[in-house]
Amino acid sequence: MSYTVPYLGHGVGLRTQHFPHVWDGTARVDWFEVISENFMLRGGRPLAVLEKARALAPLVLHGVSLSLGSTDPLNEAYLSDLRALAERFQPAWISDHLCWGSVGGHYAHDLLPLPYTDEALAHVVERVQQVQDRLGRQILIENVSSYLTYTHSVMSEWEFLAQVAQRADCGILLDVNNVYVSATNHGFDAHEYLNGLPVDRICQMHLAGHSTYETYLLDTHDGPVITPVWELYRFAVRRFGRVSTLIEWDDKIPEFHELCAEAERARTIEHRSWEPLYARSA
Amino acid sequence: MLDLRDLQSRFFYSIARPMRSAEEEWQGFDPQLLQAIQTQGKLGPHERLDIYAQMYCARLLDVLQEDFPRVVAIVGEEQFREIGRLYLRQFPSTHPSLYHLGIHFAEFVTSQPVGISSPFLGDLARLERARLDVFDAPDAEPLRLEDLQTIPADAWATIHFRVIPALVTLTCAWPVQQVWKEEPFTISDILHQTPTVLRVWRQDFAVYQARMDTIEQAALAAMQSGESFASVCANVETLVDAGEDVSAVVGSLLMRWIEDGILAREYHLATV
Repeated sequence: MSYTVPYLGHGVGLRTQHFPHVWDGTARVDWFEVISENFMLRGGRPLAVLEKARALAPLVLHGVSLSLGSTDPLNEAYLSDLRALAERFQPAWISDHLCWGSVGGHYAHDLLPLPYTDEALAHVVERVQQVQDRLGRQILIENVSSYLTYTHSVMSEWEFLAQVAQRADCGILLDVNNVYVSATNHGFDAHEYLNGLPVDRICQMHLAGHSTYETYLLDTHDGPVITPVWELYRFAVRRFGRVSTLIEWDDKIPEFHELCAEAERARTIEHRSWEPLYARSA
Repeated sequence: MLDLRDLQSRFFYSIARPMRSAEEEWQGFDPQLLQAIQTQGKLGPHERLDIYAQMYCARLLDVLQEDFPRVVAIVGEEQFREIGRLYLRQFPSTHPSLYHLGIHFAEFVTSQPVGISSPFLGDLARLERARLDVFDAPDAEPLRLEDLQTIPADAWATIHFRVIPALVTLTCAWPVQQVWKEEPFTISDILHQTPTVLRVWRQDFAVYQARMDTIEQAALAAMQSGESFASVCANVETLVDAGEDVSAVVGSLLMRWIEDGILAREYHLATV
């Protein structure tokens, strides 16, 4: 099987700072992505804003705490809350990360790297299948930025990601910035990474800014997308075609119009990169 | 070779270890885990793992700072982060949502030297946590003034008003609500120990707190415990001065509560 989702265009991550634009109905974007955990609430302003957002544009739920790669049991209460949230807001799809973040019932609230071993592969595939069963729908899994790799890994990250998607029959949320950050941190070729992923599994792309330190890059989502990441996005569009794309900006959050301008830039790049290919194949 | 479970356990408790207080001697990251991490470029396993350790620490302390901004303002950021490190060592996150990270913080800060030298800090942290709790409490449509006009005259003897879910009462030893009075605030107003009962509630997505006098405390407590309006009035009658008009006192309370949006419309209608 493969995984197909609707094409939503170029959206933005909805954060608290943008709530006024949603509340007064002036937020004009193709679609919103929200952090699932921030809306697993009993009531109040965030849920009211989400109702408004949903009336303005399609929604997608993006989680950070599913801890798909953890050896802890899946958190059933969390899954129940996620399912309830999805039933209420009817997201176009649900996504989370290819990583782990909890052990022994303790949560790191970080996206921690997995070893790319057969043991980890079998474990993650089973967990994704369990999650999809509990939610009654397929999910997307996202590649994370990482700052270390393990000596006992037996395959590349992209091989691992592709294997998980195919065996668990889920989609891939390709974070182009994360590929760039990890490629720099670990010295692999970002283009080889993208070429190693199955075209029919790529359902969404993420773009974001990062921070440059003396010896590594850190995925901070605190600035505009840098030129090399736009270039990689251009390459990704040529390989994967038109894929719903979203700008993430989580720190030093700019004015809403500036965020939307980044989404427009992604639209322009997609248009220029993909349309000639489409014209050739038509 | 470490299996997945062992790897994750060693990883987590390695990055959480820097939460230990500075005076404790730290033995360094887990040697077996370091052997499982590749050296790449200029960064060895220790430096690479340390990136995660630094992020773990910074992220969770940032969350605590956001949840307790008034406590931070009073003790200072540096001291707050040291208290936060000790707190996270004792109460690591056990919930997928960061919203729950600080649920034990008020109790914890009371037991710390800074909480003993500044004993109002525990109450202040409890108030900040209560504000978070009502922020996401379930919604309820508030009772409006015009709703009162629809209540039949003979229903008043048996009617039960209900308070909205987004309201909590807080019994404090210090008048910590004073900290919200002005920006920038000073602590001079809260240095005098004064038993204080507060109601903390959400109205139109904003969170408020107000001090209650003895009569309002009794009336609201009766209302919250499900007593009828007639019973609430009887409670108030035992507290007012001789000759004071009980119905005027209760009427004034009712008006204030409706203005503040703390009575729920749906409950009122369901119980008439």
